[in-house]
Order: sequence, then C-alpha cells, then structure tokens
Amino acid sequence: MSDVTYVRLLDLACGAFLLAAVLVLWRRDLAAIVRLFAIQGAALAALVAVLGVHEGLDGHGAELLALGAGLAVLRAVVLPRLLRRAIVGGDVRETEPLVNVAASLVVAAGLALLSYAVTRPVVALEPSPAVRAVPVALTVVLIGFFVLVTRRRALSQVVGFLLVDNGITAVAFLTTSGVPLIVELGVSLDVLLAVLVLQVLTARMRAAFGGTDLDDLRELRD
Amino acid sequence: MTSVTGAALSASLGASLLAAVAGAALPRRVRPAGAGLCTAVAGAAAVVAGVAAMTGRSWSAWLPELLPLAGVRLAVDPLGGLFIAVTGAVAVCAAVYGVGYARPPRDGHGHGLDGRTVQAVLPLFVAAMLLVPAAASVSTFLVAWELMALASLLLVVAEHRHRASVGTAGLWYAVMTHLGLVAILAGLAGLAAAAHGESFDRLRAAAEGLSPAVRGAVFVATFAGFASKAGIIPLHVWLPRAHPEAPSHVSALMSAAMVNLGGYGIVRVGFDLLGGGPVWWWLLVLAAGAVSALYGILQAAVATDLKRLLAYSTCENMGLVLVGLGAGGLLLTAGARPPAALALTAALLHVVNHAAFKTLLFLAAGSVLRATGLRDLDALGGLRTRMPLTTAAFAVGALAASALPLGNGFVSEWLLLQSLIGSLGEGGTISAVTMPVAVAALALSAGLAVATFVKAFGTGFLARPRTPQAQAAAESPATMGVGMGVAAACCLALALVPAFTAPGLAGAVQVVLPGQDALTGQVTLRLAAASSTVSPLLIAVSVVGAVALLRIAMIRRARRRARLWDCGMGPLNARMEYTATSFAEPLQRVFDDVLAPETDLNVTPLAESAYLVESVTYRARVGDRIERRLYRPVVAAAAAVGEAARRLANGSVHRYLAYGFGTFTGVLILLAVTR
Repeated sequence: MSDVTYVRLLDLACGAFLLAAVLVLWRRDLAAIVRLFAIQGAALAALVAVLGVHEGLDGHGAELLALGAGLAVLRAVVLPRLLRRAIVGGDVRETEPLVNVAASLVVAAGLALLSYAVTRPVVALEPSPAVRAVPVALTVVLIGFFVLVTRRRALSQVVGFLLVDNGITAVAFLTTSGVPLIVELGVSLDVLLAVLVLQVLTARMRAAFGGTDLDDLRELRD
Repeated sequence: MTSVTGAALSASLGASLLAAVAGAALPRRVRPAGAGLCTAVAGAAAVVAGVAAMTGRSWSAWLPELLPLAGVRLAVDPLGGLFIAVTGAVAVCAAVYGVGYARPPRDGHGHGLDGRTVQAVLPLFVAAMLLVPAAASVSTFLVAWELMALASLLLVVAEHRHRASVGTAGLWYAVMTHLGLVAILAGLAGLAAAAHGESFDRLRAAAEGLSPAVRGAVFVATFAGFASKAGIIPLHVWLPRAHPEAPSHVSALMSAAMVNLGGYGIVRVGFDLLGGGPVWWWLLVLAAGAVSALYGILQAAVATDLKRLLAYSTCENMGLVLVGLGAGGLLLTAGARPPAALALTAALLHVVNHAAFKTLLFLAAGSVLRATGLRDLDALGGLRTRMPLTTAAFAVGALAASALPLGNGFVSEWLLLQSLIGSLGEGGTISAVTMPVAVAALALSAGLAVATFVKAFGTGFLARPRTPQAQAAAESPATMGVGMGVAAACCLALALVPAFTAPGLAGAVQVVLPGQDALTGQVTLRLAAASSTVSPLLIAVSVVGAVALLRIAMIRRARRRARLWDCGMGPLNARMEYTATSFAEPLQRVFDDVLAPETDLNVTPLAESAYLVESVTYRARVGDRIERRLYRPVVAAAAAVGEAARRLANGSVHRYLAYGFGTFTGVLILLAVTR
C-alpha cells in the first residue's frame, strides 16, 4: 500500500481506538460498555494489522498480521464474551459514577492533552507516523486508569483495567514496530487469566453482597 | 598453606553451621545437646583462632564468589582476634549452659527454648559475631552486622508466647538496631565512596587525604551506630528491655559479646581506618562514655529486676570502655603515645573482663530465673542454701563487677584510672580539664557499682526467701553449672594473673599504635606509661592469708549459737528484711533529681473517721528518665503521624486507585512542565 493510505488507515485505527475509550466514559449501560470494548479490541487488531501490512508481508509483517489476528480473537471476541457472561443476572447500568459523565469527558480531554505533552520527546526521537500515534495510546492508558478510579461497578472496573492493558499493548506496537510473539502471548495469557479471576470475583461479590458496587467492600479493611 | 588462624576460624564457622543444622534437624530430645555441643566446639575453635591472631598469626582471605558484586573479604588481625577470642569464649560458656537451660524444668511447662528456631539461630548468631571482627571490607562488615542483628532479634523474641513484654522489647530492639545499622551504613558507604573502594586496606590508605568534613561526618555517623549497639546513653533504650526479656544464655551472648562489637567498631573505624582524628571526636567519645557509665550504674543501683540491673551494668561497663577509648584518642591527638597505648590497653582489657563477669552474672541470673521463675530481687532471697553453686558463681561475678580487688573488674578499672591520672600532664588544657572529670566519673561509678552488686547479691541470694517460689528453688542441672564454672574460672584467671593477656592486648593495641607496649611483667604488672605497678596475685594471696589468719584467730574463741536480737518483737521473718528497693532507697533519695522516681501514695481512711486508716498503698517506680524525655515525644509523634495516616486508607478501593492515578498523572504533569 502507498504511504498515504498507510497513514490514513493508521490514523483511522487509532481514532477508533481512542474514540472507543472515550465512549466508555460516556455510556452507562454495561452491555454497551462491553460492546465498546470489543470495538476497541477490533481497532487495536486493525492497528496491528496495518502495521504488519506496512512492514511487508514477507517475514516480520506476516508475524504482525498473525499477532493482529490473535489479538482480534482475544480482545474483540473472547474477552467481551466473558464480560457479557458476568453481566447476566446483575446490574445493567453504571448508576452514579463518582465523577459524572460530563466532567469525565472534560477530564478525558485533559488527559489527552497531558499525554501529548508528555510524549513529545518520544515522538521527537523518531517522528514516523506510527510513533506520532503514541500519545493516543497513552491517552487510552490514562483513560483506563481514570475509569478504574471513578466507576463503581465491578464490571466497569474490569473494563478500565482492560483499557489500560489495550493502551499499553498499543504503545508497545507503535513504538517498537512489533513485539516478539512470545511476549505478546505471555501478556495475553495474563490478561485472560486476570479477566477470568475477576469474573469469578464479580460473581462472588454479587453472591455475597447482592451487588457489585466496590464501595460495599469498605468494611473489609483492617 | 593456610595459617592456624584461618583453619581455626573456618573450623569455627563450619561448626556453627553444623550446629545450626543440628538445631533445625535433630529431634527435640537430643536437639539442645547436639546444637549446644557443636556451638561449644565452634566457640573453642574461635578462641584458638583469636589467640593465634593476637600472637601475630594474621590471616586474610578473599572469596569473590560468595556474595554477588562485592564478594567476601576477610582478614583477622590481632585487634579482630581479640574480639573473636572473647566472643568464642562467651559462646563456649553460653552453649554448654544452654544445653541444660533449654530443657524444660521438672514441673513441665516448657518455655520453648528447645524449639527449632532458637536452637538453629543461636549458632548463626555466634557465627555472625565471629564474622564481624573478621570482616575486611565494608560490604562484608555490613552483611555480618545485619546478620548479627537479625539473629539476635529472633533470639530476643524467643519467649514471646510467654510474656507480652517480650514483644515490646523486640520492637524497641529491632527499631534501634536498624537505625544503628542505617547510621553505620551511611557512614561506611560515605567513606567508601570518598575512598573509591570498599576494602579496609583501600579505606586506610585513602583516609589520610579526605577532607576533615567527610572524616568528621563518617566518624559521627558510625559512632552513633556503634554506640547504639554498645548501649551508650542516650542510645541505650533497647538494652535494658531486650537483655532482660531474652533467654538468659542469649542475654549473656548479647551483653558479653555483641555489645563489645560496638566498641570494636569505634576502634576499627576511628583509630584504624580513619587513623585518629581531631580532639572533638574523642571528647565526644569520652563524654558519652562517662555519662553512660554514671547513668548506667545509677539505674542499675535502683533497679529491682535482676536482669535489668545487669543490663544497666552493661551500659556502665561499655561506658568505661568508651572512656578508655576516648582518653586514648585524646592522648594520641596530643602526641602522647605511651599513655594513649595504656588507655587503649585498659579499655580492651575491660572489654575482656566485662565479657567474663557479665557472662557469669547473666548465666547465674538465668539459673535463678529457671529455678524460681522470678527476676524481681524483692521477691527472691535465701538462695544461698538452696542453690549453692549458682550463689557462688554470682558471688564471683558480683565481686568482679563491683571492681574490688580479687575481682577481674578491678584490674582493668585500675589500669584505666592509672591511664587517666598518668595523662594529666599531657595534651594541654583540654586534657587537663577533662581527665580529672573523667577520673571523678570513674570513681563514682565504681563506688555505685559496689552498692549495686552488694544489693543484688545480698538481697537476691542471702537472707531468707521472701516468696514461696524462692523457697522452693533447687539447684540447676549440671551442664548449666559447667557453663557457669567455665565463666567463673575465666574470671578468676583474669583476676589473679591478668598478665597472661598482656601479649595479646599489646598485639591488638599495636594494630593502631605500632611499637607501643603498655604492660610488662608476669606476676606484677608494670605500666610503661605511668610509673606504677599492681600485682593482683599478691593482693589476693595477702587477702586470703589475712582472712585465713582471722579465721584461725576466731576458732580459738568459744562460740555458742543464739537467736538474733530482734528487739523482743518475736522471731524475725522475711517481711522484715531489707529488700532491693529499700536498700537502694537512700541512693535513690540522693540522686532524686537525676532519677526523678515516680511515687504514688494512696491512703484510704475509714468511712467513720479520717484519722483511722483502712489501707495504704505505695507504689514507687524508677523509670528511665532519658527514655521518657527523649524518646517518648518522638514515639508519640510517630504514633500520631501513623494514626493520621490511617485516614488515608479508609477501605475504599476507588480511593486507593485514585492515589495511584493521582501520583501517576502528577509525575507526568511534572515531567511535562519541568522539561
């Protein structure tokens, strides 16, 4: 593909990636949040695939494409399905988050600004199109962290955690033009296990407290 | 070809490890015997290594594979050899004693000292104490030091299931010993950084060229750390807590061997590595030592807990050692080398003597504790007939600790006094002012020591038993007797023919003051610096002869048995005896302003009349005033901060996450702004 197409596709994938994260802040319906997460996973996979195609299909690029396919399976299909199973029979809405939606969106904008400011030296090192997109990935990390801090439901928390992980993965791919397969496999396995454990914990919480508001756990300290 | 020193030290360390394995692996029935025997062998080998090193067979080794990055560098010179020998000898006594001490008394309730932890950690503690004086690089030294601190901490809290106070003592000890480690670490790391190398040879070579500020900072930091290990006022607070609460043979090891290493550190860093320093260093050491000697013995004089009394006596004796070191440094700075050598010799001899008698005293106190379950002198008494061996052992130790002739404490304190008096003409105004004050402090502490140990021995062992537990006391098992016997034999040998230590001490002193020989003579000690002599053996012979003559003269007179005069009040009973508290009361009154005892008198009158008394309660407690004034505010502030910090953690997961998020974004913002 030509360089112009490459940059456009890359920007499109990054835009979808970032937009999905911001929309997670906007929506309150847990099912919609999971859907957004799946979209983000797909965007991440597309991002990796675009990088792979740009590298050329012989050798390294093929490996990246395979990785992208794996990411798509894991993050756009398997993890969302697991999360959806956790919703069934529980709360369906993120009622009253600790920071309301409007303020959350403003904060997201601030975080995006911050990550652009912080990653300037990284970009200055090698101003290729992929590296220029690093601030987007860092923004997703920060937004994921913000979701962890402000959302009450256990499921939103899991999604926040996964956003952080998506962001980190994106940073890795954008800066290094490809993570070794073994590393990515290890990370993916970790994430899968973490989600499984968190799903079990969520179910347990619901069984014990009848809800998944994390602030109900406040009495458990020393 | 390895030297005797190296072979013996390796054998000793090997035996310690074997003992640790035995302590961890053997079944409970034979565990104390197996571990104790191996530890005793380790101690004996260490004595051989130390003596060999003191007589000039130095040894060094470089094991680059043993620790990552720095490797282990060992070197035993005569100075280190002295401390190795002392530690080894104490370990022999404590290990043999521990075999019997760890066995539960006959009435069943075991105090858990034959458990795996204690039995395995004790040999490691000994090994760590042997490694500290053998270390020849900063990293090796610090590793050995920390190993020693951790092992001793585990041993201090060995009986935490039995008394709540053990936990508190362990906490104080842990905090103080680690703060001390931090100070030493900072000092030695600073020195190593300035010298561009961490082996002691490198430090020694580079110390000359360092700036005075660096040298001063290194000295003050290491001095603070070593002084806290030696129990020097005001860094002593852990000592009167940890020593009483530790099992008694551990107390003996800590009080007779471990605290010495504080003194060793000061000699090694101050004299050897830094090669002496300005006057203010040594004035600091001298002042800390004098204050420690006085305050320590004063607290000991009013203490009623036997082991607490002994612990404060350790403060006093380490203070005396520091007085000797400080005087030595002062004289060295003034260029008077022979008197400096004498002061150092006296200080090192006092280390040896203190180790001997403090081992004996703690072992005897442990014997009493095991037989009666009591440490309170006010509740003891009458042990002379019930525990004759322990009483004899304690008597020998008490005589030594009170620095009277016939005891070994006398010899070194006399030497110390001679060195202080003999140096009056040397070193200008500062020495002319400080030395007489130091002499006065020494004399006062010696006097108070007599009162202290008369009290301890008189109220604890003589007279009649004051409680049923003391009444029911029985002599301890034979192994404990052997442990005490060895220590007592060391005390007597040091008291009667101290000259046998002279070559070794001279070797140790010559590490820092080459070519100086402070003591000569076999039976009579002749001082090279001050034209005076002392002959402990002749003193002993004449005293024993005079006593024998008196006895012979007394036999001639007719004797008849009669009841004691009791003012016609009926038979005297134990309630009428002097207690430790009442014995110390006049002293407490004299030193009221210093001790500030807390007394509490409650008189409850009868309801009918204010003039008729129903009951009177009187409670007196002599706390540690330095601890109250200096440490309580700090501890209270720390507790307040900790309590306030609890509000940070209110249990909300979101808040915890927000801390992380806030810090993360804060750092990022800082990065974005400042760059």
